Amino acid sequence: MPDTPEEFERRTGGEEWLPYWAAARRRELRFQRCRGCGTWRFPPQAMCASCHSLEHEWALTSGKARLLSWVVVHPPVLPAWKERTPYVVVLVESEEGCRTMGNLLGATASDLRMDMPMRVDFAPSIDGDLVPQWRPA
Amino acid sequence: MSLRNQTAIVGIGQLPFSKNIGKPEHVSALEAAVQALEDAGLRAADVDGMVKWSIQTTSENVIARNLGVPNLRFFGEVGYGGGGGCGTVGHAAAAIAAGMARCVLIYRSRNRGSGGRPWAGTSRERDQSQAEGNETAFFAPYGFVRPVDQVAMFARRFLHDRGYTTTHLGWIAVACRTHARNNPMAMMREPMTLEDHANSRMISDPLRLFDNCLETDGAAAVIVCRADMARDLRQKPAYVMAASQGMGPRNFTMNNFFKDPFLESPGAYAAKALWDMAGVTPQDVDVAQLYDAFSPLVLGSLEEYGFCRPGEAGAFVDNHGLELGGRLPCNTSGGSLSEAYVHGINMIIEATRQIRGTSCNQVRGARLSLCTSGNMVPTGAILLGGD
Repeated sequence: MPDTPEEFERRTGGEEWLPYWAAARRRELRFQRCRGCGTWRFPPQAMCASCHSLEHEWALTSGKARLLSWVVVHPPVLPAWKERTPYVVVLVESEEGCRTMGNLLGATASDLRMDMPMRVDFAPSIDGDLVPQWRPA
Repeated sequence: MSLRNQTAIVGIGQLPFSKNIGKPEHVSALEAAVQALEDAGLRAADVDGMVKWSIQTTSENVIARNLGVPNLRFFGEVGYGGGGGCGTVGHAAAAIAAGMARCVLIYRSRNRGSGGRPWAGTSRERDQSQAEGNETAFFAPYGFVRPVDQVAMFARRFLHDRGYTTTHLGWIAVACRTHARNNPMAMMREPMTLEDHANSRMISDPLRLFDNCLETDGAAAVIVCRADMARDLRQKPAYVMAASQGMGPRNFTMNNFFKDPFLESPGAYAAKALWDMAGVTPQDVDVAQLYDAFSPLVLGSLEEYGFCRPGEAGAFVDNHGLELGGRLPCNTSGGSLSEAYVHGINMIIEATRQIRGTSCNQVRGARLSLCTSGNMVPTGAILLGGD
């Protein structure tokens, strides 16, 4: 069942995250980048920890990353996810130095190796929205 | 000024742990508080401070008015769930050392066995922990919401980089169970072997069922008071030799994957502050309660609290290393894995019992007793000492 907008925001970190998910619906992976000093950052936050600027943009990334870790989720899970189990969630570090997660596309857990190159793709989450996902490059 | 040895844990109380305690959290909290007062030989009127865990529905004024505490001149909460446990003792000790209180009641009551799962949205607690809960849900659109998934993500990389195996995790689970078997209060007292651990069902690969803590209804309380008062009370004081907290850089609750070094936990920072204050070394410690909401956390704590070097924790836990008579007896009441999961207040109580000499798995002559809190979140630690 789709979230209400309020519930989605609550579940995904709040208002600061909305541009991340909105970009994904346009098949773009964007992270925050400080307008003051150019430092990339993710997860999003209000202030640049390097220069204390409150100004930022949501800048387009290369979509290239390396695999830092992964898990294979087995039950018990939320009812909406039960049919997808077991499913893989990966943690990646992008070329820009930011880390994020996604589900695994185009491979199984046994294909994964630490630090292997990954690239972003976009596929629907349970609620139907396109979200950033990752596949071996 | 240091708070070293200025305060002591003088009272402990806990109700039997279960899957369903059959009463509201605040009632259990009150019963545990009365037990702790009786254990110490104190009256409600002696209490002038309270500290509580976060993610808890019972507030201080409820406890105070039910017990008949005439006034609280110090009260507060330490956040981050299981990371906050030792911090509650630290805050109490700091307040007492600063003259803001003389006698502080600490409590943790949680119906987590019967009361639903916060990650599944089936617990009232979500409303009490919105700020912290939000950070645990960043990646909900990927079906990544359970604490076990968050620990497993850390654990796979940790095991890989350090050369540890899931058998090492098994040794931790077995040590906890072995200790729990001697503890009538423990929820899990059936024998467990390494094979049982390896055959338990997968929950979040690489973590299996027996790498997970229990789902517990439990309530417990601890009383900290001034060291000069402690000597005249009913029990042998467990002096707070040191207390610390640690957050580390770029901290996120549970999803703490955005810091560098990636494998360093807030525990590394709490450990340094703890040893700096204590004036002893890890090698002086007789017994430890290392927070074990999930088994991999123990491997990290063994490294970060200085019991072994990075990469050596596997050999440390191997072959009964954490059991009574081993390299370092750990989680001697069974810990979160086999006694009860109440965000670690049971481990603070067990650390106290070791100083008193009343543990079900007593380390003979224990004089230095360590307790740590959850290290996937901002954390803390205490070192207790005997006379």
